[in-house]
Amino acid sequence: MGLRFRRAIHFHPGVQTVFIPARLPPTTTMAGRTGARVLALPPETVLKHPVATLRDIDATLDPDAVWVLGRSREPTAAARVRHTVDAPVIHPPLETGDDPLSRRSIGDELAFAVARSASALRAGDGIRSASDRNEDEREVDALICDDIATTTRPTALETSLDHAAELAAALPTGRTTTVLSGGLPAGYDERWHVNAETGTVRTVEHDPLLSPDSVANDCVAVRVRGAGPVDGYGGPNAVVELEFAADGLVSSTAHAASDFGLEAISGIGPKTAGRLAECGVTTRSELLETPVAALADIEGIGPKGARRMHRYATVLETGEPRRVGDASLPGEHWSTPPLCLDIETDGLSPTIIWQIGVYDPSTDTYRAFVERDDPADRASVLRAFCDWLLGVHPNRALLTWNGWGFDYRHLGAFVARHCPAYAAEWESIPKFDLYLWADGDDNALLPGRTNELDVVAAELGYDGAATGLDGARTAAAYQRFMRTGDESELDWDRHEAYCEDDCRALWHVYERLRDAPQVSVSAGSSASGTASSSSTAEQASGEQTGLGDF
Amino acid sequence: MGIDTDSDTDVEGDKDKDGDGDGDGSTDTDADVDTDRSSGRTDDRQNVPITGDELLETFPRARSRESDDVSILELPGRDASAVPNAEVLRPELADPLDDDLYTHQAAALRALGRGENVCVATSTASGKTRIYALQIARHYLDARARGDGTDATAYVCYPTKALSRDQERELNDFYDTLGLDISVRVYDGDTERGDTRRHIREEADVIITNFAGVNTYLHDHDRWARFLSACELVVVDESHTYTGVHGMHVAWIVRRLKRVLEYYDADPQFVLTSATIGNPGAHSSSLVGEPVTVVDEDGSPTGPRELVLWNPPPQAREESDEEHASGSSGDETPADGGEDAITDRVPATVEAPKLLSHLAYHDAQTLLFTPSRKLAELSVKRASKHRRDRSRYYANPDRGSAIEPYHAGHSRRNRHGTEHRLKTGLLDGVASTNALELGINVGEMDATVQLGYPGQRQSFWQQLGRAGRGTKRALSVLVAGHRTLDQYVVNNPDYLLETDVEDAVVDTENDAVFARHLLCAADELALDESDGSAAGFADRDRLERAVEMWRRAGRLAGYLETGVSYTGPPRPQGSISLYATTGEEYAVELAEGVDERHDPEMEPLAEERVLRDFHEGAVRLHEGKQYEVCAVDHTTPRPSVTLRPTDVDYYTRTRTDVTVLDAVSEESRDIGSVRLHFGRGRVLVYHGTYDKVAVHGGQKKERMIPTENPPLSMETQLCWLEVPDRVETALVEKYREFSVPELDGGLAETAHLGYAGGLHAAEHATIGVAPLELMVDKRDLGGLATLSIDSHLATATENGETDARENANATPQNIAAAEATVREIASELEHEPASGWFIYDGIDGGLGFSRAIYENFEAVAARARDLIADCDCGHIDGCPACVMDDQCGNNNRPLHRDAAVDVLDQVLGNADVDDLEPYLPDDEFGGDRRPPLFYA
Repeated sequence: MGLRFRRAIHFHPGVQTVFIPARLPPTTTMAGRTGARVLALPPETVLKHPVATLRDIDATLDPDAVWVLGRSREPTAAARVRHTVDAPVIHPPLETGDDPLSRRSIGDELAFAVARSASALRAGDGIRSASDRNEDEREVDALICDDIATTTRPTALETSLDHAAELAAALPTGRTTTVLSGGLPAGYDERWHVNAETGTVRTVEHDPLLSPDSVANDCVAVRVRGAGPVDGYGGPNAVVELEFAADGLVSSTAHAASDFGLEAISGIGPKTAGRLAECGVTTRSELLETPVAALADIEGIGPKGARRMHRYATVLETGEPRRVGDASLPGEHWSTPPLCLDIETDGLSPTIIWQIGVYDPSTDTYRAFVERDDPADRASVLRAFCDWLLGVHPNRALLTWNGWGFDYRHLGAFVARHCPAYAAEWESIPKFDLYLWADGDDNALLPGRTNELDVVAAELGYDGAATGLDGARTAAAYQRFMRTGDESELDWDRHEAYCEDDCRALWHVYERLRDAPQVSVSAGSSASGTASSSSTAEQASGEQTGLGDF
Repeated sequence: MGIDTDSDTDVEGDKDKDGDGDGDGSTDTDADVDTDRSSGRTDDRQNVPITGDELLETFPRARSRESDDVSILELPGRDASAVPNAEVLRPELADPLDDDLYTHQAAALRALGRGENVCVATSTASGKTRIYALQIARHYLDARARGDGTDATAYVCYPTKALSRDQERELNDFYDTLGLDISVRVYDGDTERGDTRRHIREEADVIITNFAGVNTYLHDHDRWARFLSACELVVVDESHTYTGVHGMHVAWIVRRLKRVLEYYDADPQFVLTSATIGNPGAHSSSLVGEPVTVVDEDGSPTGPRELVLWNPPPQAREESDEEHASGSSGDETPADGGEDAITDRVPATVEAPKLLSHLAYHDAQTLLFTPSRKLAELSVKRASKHRRDRSRYYANPDRGSAIEPYHAGHSRRNRHGTEHRLKTGLLDGVASTNALELGINVGEMDATVQLGYPGQRQSFWQQLGRAGRGTKRALSVLVAGHRTLDQYVVNNPDYLLETDVEDAVVDTENDAVFARHLLCAADELALDESDGSAAGFADRDRLERAVEMWRRAGRLAGYLETGVSYTGPPRPQGSISLYATTGEEYAVELAEGVDERHDPEMEPLAEERVLRDFHEGAVRLHEGKQYEVCAVDHTTPRPSVTLRPTDVDYYTRTRTDVTVLDAVSEESRDIGSVRLHFGRGRVLVYHGTYDKVAVHGGQKKERMIPTENPPLSMETQLCWLEVPDRVETALVEKYREFSVPELDGGLAETAHLGYAGGLHAAEHATIGVAPLELMVDKRDLGGLATLSIDSHLATATENGETDARENANATPQNIAAAEATVREIASELEHEPASGWFIYDGIDGGLGFSRAIYENFEAVAARARDLIADCDCGHIDGCPACVMDDQCGNNNRPLHRDAAVDVLDQVLGNADVDDLEPYLPDDEFGGDRRPPLFYA
């Protein structure tokens, strides 16, 4: 399952990967276009963070274009990005040209129509399908219009699409046009069918991958996709990365701006970053060049903070993890290593755990338990897993990445409910959470911009299977299977490979941490043993999510 | 009238939210659960040291009072009616108990034994807690007998944290007495995080919390799996307090809890305990969504009681000055100090502390109930001042002078100290907010004094119950304030003695509230088709519409066939505000550069509240300190209000204009000669300007300062009536000589003015008396009297469907534009419109209040008629005690009492249309053209 969390210590907003399925069926197929990446940034984010942070965002995500969102003109923000980033900048209100709908090409293969505002949609010629136009002029991949949003009226139980009438007037009938808007959060993906004549909404498709309705000839279909900030636990994740493949927009990922630049170092917030900048320190390498003693003199940092910053900056810059203190890794001294576990569900409020993957490092073997036949059967997979685990490996511990935030919690609840006979045994199995040990209990410093397993593992040199999947995608795929009962909805091998990859990545991280150098610990570190009992783990995981009130 | 803006409300109103005290609540639970019922006071006097007559005899200057200013009612006592414990309880439970069960306790326990849900609606101190305490014990013993290691747990919800702590002690003591090892633990916002919480979840048999807690904890229900799986009883204590907006939220939280319990295969019984209300069965079933058996035959004993209704004497000059001086401390409501108020009597705020002082002097341990914390503090000072002012009368100033204040603003330790000193007789009197109306154990008093009518009969009786428990004789004094309800009650004492009490209104029809809880439900467990079944979360159609709405908004994903899950920002439970219908709340911030210690630490504010009371420039009183609003940021998602402390000699009062548009009738019925409707529509509220009012003397220092507020637009529920043409025509003629010279807009001489004043007055009065019949908060109701009801209705389109006008979604940005819209519709009407008035729920989505008024209109209209007809103010345009409303958007003009009585007589069938025959003009169609006037 894909994880959504962040550096725990300061509850920074973190990364949120949002899966946007590819456009199906592709209305037009344009071959040869791969991997174009557009970055969507709200003007507030651009203005609030130092230029060095923008540079780090640019260097890290390497966009082919930057779209500065805007319902209103923000020339300063646009200029700031132009000055910082070496890619074309789109800021709709400032797009020039005679046509209110300007056309922007990104590289050779990606082209957008950009509307300065919703009213511009009415003013222009609209967007015509390829056949209406000169054959030479390729149609655009999407229309960018930041005014497109939804309005919800709970008292009427209605959600409407803003400017549906303008869209109906501007877009070609009888087919689907993709509209990108910063007015909706990244991950928003709904296909609205709007009557071309009246602008009234006829129907809305929620899963464009699943047997899309054909578009009536008197309708325009608008696949509305969000590129705006996504609210997270610690605040908005406003840096949105849009990935385009040959057949259109594939995925969007929302990052927190504070995962970049100096603020990526735990302990440095906007205030401290400002003070550091006054002393000429704007990047992590500059920080490392500044002696600890000099940092310690800066207001609000002190010697302890300065040492910690240095350590962390070193880890981020070198990509080498460090262990803090002398706590042993969970299960480090056991005669057999723990079993690496990962589960897949049908969503964040799961109704089924349909895949349980276990990697055994001692034999380098992988075992998967998958419900391929009957998605209504919640028990079989669990029972098979418990039979195997308790029968074949009665004395092994389990290892997960953020298991107390997800895997153990749901497995515990599902075993208790669907296999009550195993509930007590399940309780007694030792369960380790490597993420909790490293980050929650402050026993290690991890490289990588976020704490997601794949990011950390990649940073530590793990060469993954590149299945192109994440937890949300596999969940969405399984939901489609549940809905249609059609086994061909899933590329089962690929989904199993994904789960296996996570289990192996986990063991890779474990090994790298086992071999990582230790740094001396300053007073006050909570290097108490590991999370081998559910009690301390649960308590700590409560702290790790920063949401104590449960 | 507009929505009431009582400038004092933020002192207490916001505090209500913290749920630790002064909430509108009450209970009987203290000590009853304990088998030892003896109080700490050792004397066993059967009679209070002073009777009602003696009070009149001895109180300074009381003998010269007008005879009808004070009335004394004698209320007989009631003997206990009991059932031997062994008839109802198994020996393990019956044997250790000294006292027999009262009949209502026995009846409730029998019903619970049959597996039914039960609502116990009996008087204060009738031992309701013992019922669920014993049912918990039964379940515990059953589980022990099963011997399979499974527990039986109970989830007990109290309205306040203070009560939770008190009851935790009482229940644990009770189980000690029974010799049962049942662990009762409080788990709420004050419970230490980490191990303590985990231990409670994993080990407690009974968890005590409040509904704000349940709302939060449902997110992590897997951590509660042990407790929830074993849950056999859910207790909703003080269930009558869950009405209005708060009640709607509680009803949905209970439904979410039931979903999660069902997931863990738990199917608990519900016990609700309630003060005496008019509709305990219907109210309880609405709250828990299941049939509930009502037990309301009270078997507990009460002593005889004298009830003194005390209308304060006419104001002497010097007392008036004193009152205005004390008004500077800001504790008075504008009704007491406003320029429009007719303050010809000594305010209750001054008179009631004197009575407290007097009764204490005469050895009666007395509890004074005050409407605010500030007044509790002030009353103690005034009580002592009264002694000094009358030092000749009160020869021994130290006698009965141990009087202290009590409210939720004091520390818990401090409050416990006061409770203990009351119980042991060390204190002679206490001035308390309704924090002591709640069931904290303080033993029994000799007397109670109420500073003003508490607003509802159930609350009135609840407070009275604090004196004379058991079979002791008691004295209770109600000191009437100037308000409509107070004056009604003292002039109609029978009202208090009638057996029926207010209906409690809880409504699950509000889609805005439903939709927010649906997001939480999806976050807790994926939604599926079972949620749309008969016993599910909502009916299928409503569920599908709401799911579709949220999917289109990107907040839910998936399908009901396979599961709909939540995809919005984390923890939707956190955005539920138990006191507002929309999640959007304004954070209250301190202006930059102001010392942190001035932080008012106010709870977030609902939008309605911000627009009304927290516009830029508003001066608000909070916890006795003045604050000026220096900035308001309406931008979502994080709107805010910025305050800075100030010290000025005025407060601000917002002017309110209202109109109704696009009302659609859903139901109607004839009553008398008028037609009554219930429906939905759009209410536009404009808090467009405000006045600065001097703290001293109530003079307006500055008028009509613009607030720069956007209009507040609400889709809500309305009730309205249409007066028939003939009645209107006759009454227009009858009162056509009426004029209001100073009225603006050239309407001073309109022929319709007298009649319009009658509608306007009747509208004010029906809203004013609604709390006499229903547990509604007048501040949640608004009204609009109009000569053209039709101008406010949605117009029918050609295809016959009622539909809003083409530009219906455009909100007129100010009242002038709104009036223009109404005039435009009026001019397009093809028939003569009907006149009448609207009453609406002042909350987006509605509260069910208008519906309740629609259903109980006869009773409400009868009260309103009596109020107007019986008021002895002698003014044709009434007084604040009858038809004036201090928040009227039209400055209480025009108002016409006689015309209002005539209209209400038509509604009530007291008069026939033909009675108006003499006034009908000869030329039936010769009436003046009506202006499309409307008055809030």
